[in-house]
Amino acid sequence: MQLVINGSPVTVPEELQDVTLLDFLRDFAGLTGTKFGCGIGLCGACTVHLDGVATRSCQTYVSDLDDTQVTTIEGLAQTFSGEGLHPVQQAWIAEGVPQCGYCQAGQIMTASALLRRVPDPTDAEIREEMSGNLCRCGTYGRIRQAIVRVAQEA
Amino acid sequence: MKQRIETKKINRRLFLKKTGWIAAGLTVAAYASYPVVRAKLPAFPTLDAPNTQDGVLWLQAMADGRIRFFCPRMEMGQGAGLGLSQVVAEELNIDQADIECILPNTDQVPPFQMTVGSQSIANFFDPVSWGAAQLREALRRLGAEKSDLPADQIKDGRAGFVLPDGTTLRYSDLVPDTEVIVSEDQLLPDDTLPRLALKSAKNHKAIGQDWRHHELEAIVTGQMTYARDVQVPDMAFGAVIYPPGFGAKLLSADTNKARAIPGIIGVEIDKGDDFIGLVAENPFILGAAIEALNAQWKIDETLDQGQIDSRLDVEKFRSDDNFAHTLWSSGDLGTAQRHAKHRVTGRYDTPFAAHAAIEPRSGVVWVKEDKIEVWCSTQDPYFVQNRVAKILGREAEDVVVHTHRIGGGFGGRVPCQASEAAARLSAIFNRAVRVQWDREDEFQNNYFQPKFAHYIEAGVTSDGKISHWDHDFVSSSILTGTVPSLVGKAIDIATPDDGTIRGIVPQYDISNRRIRYSAVRTPVPINAWRGLGSAPNAFAIESMMDELAFIAGIDPLQFRLQNLPLSSDRLANVLREVAEISDWGRPSPPDTGRGLACAVYKDETAAAVVVDIQIDHTTRAVRVTKAWCAQDCGLVLNPHQVESQIMGNIIWGCSMSLKEQITIAAGRVDEDNFHMYEPLRQESAPEVKVALVVPADTAPSAVGEAALPPVPAAIANGVFAATGQRNRHLPMTYESSFDETG
Repeated sequence: MQLVINGSPVTVPEELQDVTLLDFLRDFAGLTGTKFGCGIGLCGACTVHLDGVATRSCQTYVSDLDDTQVTTIEGLAQTFSGEGLHPVQQAWIAEGVPQCGYCQAGQIMTASALLRRVPDPTDAEIREEMSGNLCRCGTYGRIRQAIVRVAQEA
Repeated sequence: MKQRIETKKINRRLFLKKTGWIAAGLTVAAYASYPVVRAKLPAFPTLDAPNTQDGVLWLQAMADGRIRFFCPRMEMGQGAGLGLSQVVAEELNIDQADIECILPNTDQVPPFQMTVGSQSIANFFDPVSWGAAQLREALRRLGAEKSDLPADQIKDGRAGFVLPDGTTLRYSDLVPDTEVIVSEDQLLPDDTLPRLALKSAKNHKAIGQDWRHHELEAIVTGQMTYARDVQVPDMAFGAVIYPPGFGAKLLSADTNKARAIPGIIGVEIDKGDDFIGLVAENPFILGAAIEALNAQWKIDETLDQGQIDSRLDVEKFRSDDNFAHTLWSSGDLGTAQRHAKHRVTGRYDTPFAAHAAIEPRSGVVWVKEDKIEVWCSTQDPYFVQNRVAKILGREAEDVVVHTHRIGGGFGGRVPCQASEAAARLSAIFNRAVRVQWDREDEFQNNYFQPKFAHYIEAGVTSDGKISHWDHDFVSSSILTGTVPSLVGKAIDIATPDDGTIRGIVPQYDISNRRIRYSAVRTPVPINAWRGLGSAPNAFAIESMMDELAFIAGIDPLQFRLQNLPLSSDRLANVLREVAEISDWGRPSPPDTGRGLACAVYKDETAAAVVVDIQIDHTTRAVRVTKAWCAQDCGLVLNPHQVESQIMGNIIWGCSMSLKEQITIAAGRVDEDNFHMYEPLRQESAPEVKVALVVPADTAPSAVGEAALPPVPAAIANGVFAATGQRNRHLPMTYESSFDETG
């Protein structure tokens, strides 16, 4: 079988069809921007887009992904029609969101999927949508601020 | 040169051995200034300054005129390298783009103090400024040579100098393509060395700016290489099964079954050490191999939380009148107690807590004949270097530790046990080996914040002053938490642990007082966790302050201000500031309340916090809806970064107060993932407002943990204001706010 990851086809070896998408991305495809945090879908560090929808890659198996477009943090910018980084990535830098930064790829993938669906989310919508992504450094306030910035600049 | 290098190493080792600190894992700061080993320094061009201040060891001017800064602090989001880069920029009149700030490996700079205790700016500001200033002056001398003018006519310019005729000389014009070594006798003495970073803040160009960390773009694009992302050619994939309980013994494992799995390179068992690990050609078969091993363990299941709680029962110690240490004592408690108008007693307990950094640790180790390479993230690379050397029976200088940005530190990343395991496996199987912990490993195999039990009896005089303060507490040693138990017990009797007692002395003017402490060692591994004892201790002190204010009928802010001595003016000022920005005194609607608390971290950084509490009866939740913090940490190198740290501390404080608790059951840690130990999430995160109070001409002081101590008490005080119920145990819950009467 084949996966389409960030627009490029990747052939899945027979013996890897039963591994999680997270392990496949990190240890086969060499895309380490998607992070392991808990392995049971509770922290959100492994969030990717499947056909544009934010999904926990540690709870997704490669064999379930026929005909699915996988987008990881490495490919997020190319889903944006403009120049350079995706607006969410730009806002993350402008607001200086990351501290240790480890959870931020997942945060950005969740936020960008939210903004695609709801271009101008309310504070309650932001909080609800982003609550699946843990940040131990406590960047939650700056994350909300960055999402609001994207919505305002859009 | 060779002789001198040898002498240094022997002395250092003897010194460490003599003080007995090897097991506790401290890297001795004073010894970082030991003579530089030339062979270990970056080649070109650099400054050779043996026996003088360390700053020169961390800086190098490159031929393109840029400055390379081997940042002597590990990065875990606190941004110490950013703030210190601004110091470098200030001294050298350069911009952020002119600096290449890198995390050095252990071959690039001599050992430096481990990155703990929020001391990166406070302790490293001065040496970095000094080193950068020396580098600037060395460049000025090159400018003088080149222009044939006396050095004092070569004036500072942007990224270089300006000559009297207006000609500019850039650093890139001055740094030659060959090695230039500035010898010790060329360094300027302190009294003639201009120090631009020490000038008054209004003259600063780089210091005080909101620079953004240079790695942000790499982080937001997934290009940042954390330890877990390291890939080494021909790397094999290891896994280790850790004992499933404290002191569990390995009985058996089915190694044949595991070895039979195609792709398994080998299995290593050392029953004497209870070590069981395996190595595979690919990571995808590790899970099946571990299952096939079917390791059987003998666990002592008798240890449980109740047993530990009874050993840490402060009231028992109190009734036995049996404390090892009296930390603070003066006046006459008995008389003061009799004359107090109001008296209150309270027992305050805080639980074991885990770091729960989002990146589980990882190490890649490649044991080669001449060199052992380690790739990991750690708050102390020289400790990992020494540990790996010791495990392999090699010299520390045979080991190089390549350091990576840490995916959350919080005190939990001093050792890297995954690297230690990878080193064993690499040595046996002769391959570079990666070992990664999963979430369960992090919860089950690391060390914890100790449990604290406080008992305070205090009172108020008729004129609203604290009449007396009788405070007893028990907890466990933190800084020596991982030394062997027998040695540890001797240490506990000899001296109270500086980490555990951090912040235990109230800032208030109290003439009649006594603080007593005893340490208890349990099988639960203990070591540094954000702020060490400061937050549990401030929880007890500042809760009691609120109880005293309430019984005396005095506003909590006013009560604190009228009991602070004049010498605590910086704390009084942040209290006034937080009252101002939070509109303290504003009435609260039903089911809401406001709480206030303050603390001074490490006797230097003053922080005051106000929180708004909302009780949500529908979801049965206690929420912190808003938080305000005023902090005085002296000179601020980067306001945005300091605010981020304060916001992080507030969130951490809310999480420890409302959510976090490690419990021991059946001889092991009960919690193993985020469903059982769930840090605060976005939906519960308060809006945080920060005010920085910066008195003129003050040195920078601790930031990374400083705003945390007041948070738990502020929340407990706010819950009391909202409900009339006093929470004296963390974590606080909706149930504890209504079922537990004070």
